[in-house]
Amino acid sequence: MARDVLIDLQHITKVFPPDTVALSDVSVSFESGEIHALVGENGAGKSTLMKVFYGLEHRDAGDIFFKGTKVEFRTPREAIAAGIGMVHQEILLIPEYTVWQNIVLGAEPVRAFGIINAHEAREAVRQKIEEFQFNLDPDALVGDISVAARQKVEILKLLYRNVSVLVLDEPTAVLTPQEIPQLFAELVRLRDKGHTIIFISHRLDEVLALSDRVTVMRRGKVVGTSNASGLTKQDLARQMVGRDVLFTSRRQPQEPGEMVFRAQRLNCSDAEHRVRLHDATVEVRAGEIVGVAGVEGNGQFELVNAIMGLAPMTSGTLEVKGKDMTHTDILTRRALIAFVPQDRGKMGASVGASILEDAIMTHHILDPRFHTWRGLGLNYQHAAEFVDQIRDQFTVSMGRSSDPFSSLSGGNQQKVILGRELLLETPFVLMDQPTRGLDVGSIEYVHQLLLDLRSKKRAVLLVSADLDELFMVADRIVVMCQGEVVVNLATDATSREEVGYYMLGGKGAAHAETGS
Amino acid sequence: MRKQALSGILGVLVAFAIGAIVLALQGFNPVATYGALLQYSLFSGSGFSATVTRAVPLILTGLSASIAFASGPVNLGQPGQLVMGALGATLIGLFVHLSPAFLIPLCIMAALLGGALWSGLAALLKRAFAMDEFIVTLMLNFIADYFVLWVITYPLFDPSASSPMTRSISTAAWLPDLGGVNTSVLVMVLAAAVCWLIMSRGRSGYEWRMTGQNSLFARIGGCKVDANYVRVMLVTGALAGLAGGLMIMGGPHRFVKGLGASYAWDGIMIAVVANNGISGTFLYGLLFSALQQGAIGMELVTAVPSEFIDVLQAVIVLVVVAGRVSLNMVFDRLATKRKLKESTR
Repeated sequence: MARDVLIDLQHITKVFPPDTVALSDVSVSFESGEIHALVGENGAGKSTLMKVFYGLEHRDAGDIFFKGTKVEFRTPREAIAAGIGMVHQEILLIPEYTVWQNIVLGAEPVRAFGIINAHEAREAVRQKIEEFQFNLDPDALVGDISVAARQKVEILKLLYRNVSVLVLDEPTAVLTPQEIPQLFAELVRLRDKGHTIIFISHRLDEVLALSDRVTVMRRGKVVGTSNASGLTKQDLARQMVGRDVLFTSRRQPQEPGEMVFRAQRLNCSDAEHRVRLHDATVEVRAGEIVGVAGVEGNGQFELVNAIMGLAPMTSGTLEVKGKDMTHTDILTRRALIAFVPQDRGKMGASVGASILEDAIMTHHILDPRFHTWRGLGLNYQHAAEFVDQIRDQFTVSMGRSSDPFSSLSGGNQQKVILGRELLLETPFVLMDQPTRGLDVGSIEYVHQLLLDLRSKKRAVLLVSADLDELFMVADRIVVMCQGEVVVNLATDATSREEVGYYMLGGKGAAHAETGS
Repeated sequence: MRKQALSGILGVLVAFAIGAIVLALQGFNPVATYGALLQYSLFSGSGFSATVTRAVPLILTGLSASIAFASGPVNLGQPGQLVMGALGATLIGLFVHLSPAFLIPLCIMAALLGGALWSGLAALLKRAFAMDEFIVTLMLNFIADYFVLWVITYPLFDPSASSPMTRSISTAAWLPDLGGVNTSVLVMVLAAAVCWLIMSRGRSGYEWRMTGQNSLFARIGGCKVDANYVRVMLVTGALAGLAGGLMIMGGPHRFVKGLGASYAWDGIMIAVVANNGISGTFLYGLLFSALQQGAIGMELVTAVPSEFIDVLQAVIVLVVVAGRVSLNMVFDRLATKRKLKESTR
């Protein structure tokens, strides 16, 4: 079916100072009434391209045509007025407001003297929900509804403003496997009503299942645009990464060794006395990777904090290598626990510091080779050699060790953090979303590291929101829901559907097995 | 580091140029004015010696603020810590009788202790009651001010004096002049060197800096951030206290009303201009001291009022701080242009 070109981006170039070329002479056209996927590794420039189009980022060169005329959106408001809406990765709603209040916010129908016509607004929202069959209660509080429903609210917010083009930035990142088909059905329905959908993703299965056409980007350039029907996952991956990528598990069978990590019946509550962890028990043996699955916010973060000693527990015990860690300080834990946190900029490194300063943290205390002058001084010479070691061993591409940490790409930042933590040579490794925000190549690298740790008989606890990742590397998967470890499954004896079922609160304590 | 130096030098030059315009608009001769300024601060023996002596409290309180700000704690209590340090040195100088070899170090210790006591109080309140040191140190300045005023007006009042001041401290506690320059300068340089070693070569300085930039990261990394907080407060208080002690021992040799003047506030300003760097604080401290010292001479030989120096200082602060940011933006824009050219070739 021949469609008209609706949006034409020509020769777009964008440089992030000082010298990151985010987009280099990018030309793409989007047709009216299609679902067009924009795929590529992190840092390939997909989001940046859409932000330039949407008026969120300035471009340094290039032209934008919309419906045949040259346009220039300086703010998202102008883009929305022209009929283009973007849903961002983070959901930006007011939890204390109802669904309809959130939707009309900023474009409320008003009566005289600026008084909001609540009845009319609610009615308009209800009609929109019906029109697009979104299955939402307009009067529900946004704070009470699921993440998937909140995302629908974000989309409706734009449809309420009568946009004809929807840009979705990684919409499935926050959804469970069960929720994704529903979103896709809604998107297909929107397309059939004549909307154009631009869909940013790096999950290849989804891209192939949903889109009409696919544009692949790599390192700020367009590799090509093709019809989705003739493509395979391998084709896409090769275009994205520039080489072949393995998707299957390379986990070799291996008998786990002695018990290394044991967290028993951990409990903790937040400042408002809500229970965040309830009797959570997790055990990891040497040479074993245990994955923690769960919808975000179900106690994973609290579990990690409890293990690291960052937040107090109300009860429970922690043990690493037979040593009781329940009440020890963080430094004592660090001698036995390597920790890769989920938020690089907040917990994993100081972004404003130099690469060297970030790379030697913890080592500067535990490793006497970093000490001079009887421990008063820091041996900067050894520190520089240590950075070289990380660079060589973990293939970090970097300038000088005195360069700011922020000058590294996301993947290289993570490699520095991984190098720092793994060179602590601890028996237990705790990783919280270690591949979040990384590109396919870096993800593959991290997975290989995890498997290497496993063959080196380390015990690894891997918290991940990515089920594919867990199924690829973990020996066992424990599922967390509402602060409880609801089930402990052997990876080889379970399925994504079963894990998803438990993630959504399906409690099956009766047939929960200890998959050891 | 090179960028910092460049933006600093450029900023100061621009500020002087702005000052020259202000002078010219007022009908003064900028060249003659700046000439007098330099003459009386750097290029005469007595002027130079007075400049470096004046730099002692400026640099020490500046270092105190720099180390505190770089490490996290917002210690704004340098004025109070300075007078408490001065009081400590005065007490020892008045009541302990020893030979200079013992008394001078003892007085210096008392000055360090006096300042650390005062900042330690703020640290204690933070640890015990989570009271923000930002407000506590500010308030403690008032308490210290009026406390020392009471001490020098009543218990330690010199009956032969007409305004509040103590008797002169034992001459064994006086810091001698060496080649026309007071030895308090030597002590200050030594303290600055130690500060540089701690911050740039020490393990604690590394931890403090990292904590100042991202305390959660430092904490996860195993740094004892709470203990470090207390240490930073004590060290920075001691530095400000040392400033006060050296002023007594090198200067009037007695605690006179108004001793602290605005040195400590200037020190905080210097830390801000220097972006909390140790060597930067040292250099800007010398610059501001030269300006303040030269102002006196400038007023003598030209008709320009010494208040002009206040204006010039303010312009320097604004130009250097604003220039640092905008210069980075200029560098960024140049880099972008270069990259664009490369990628279109």
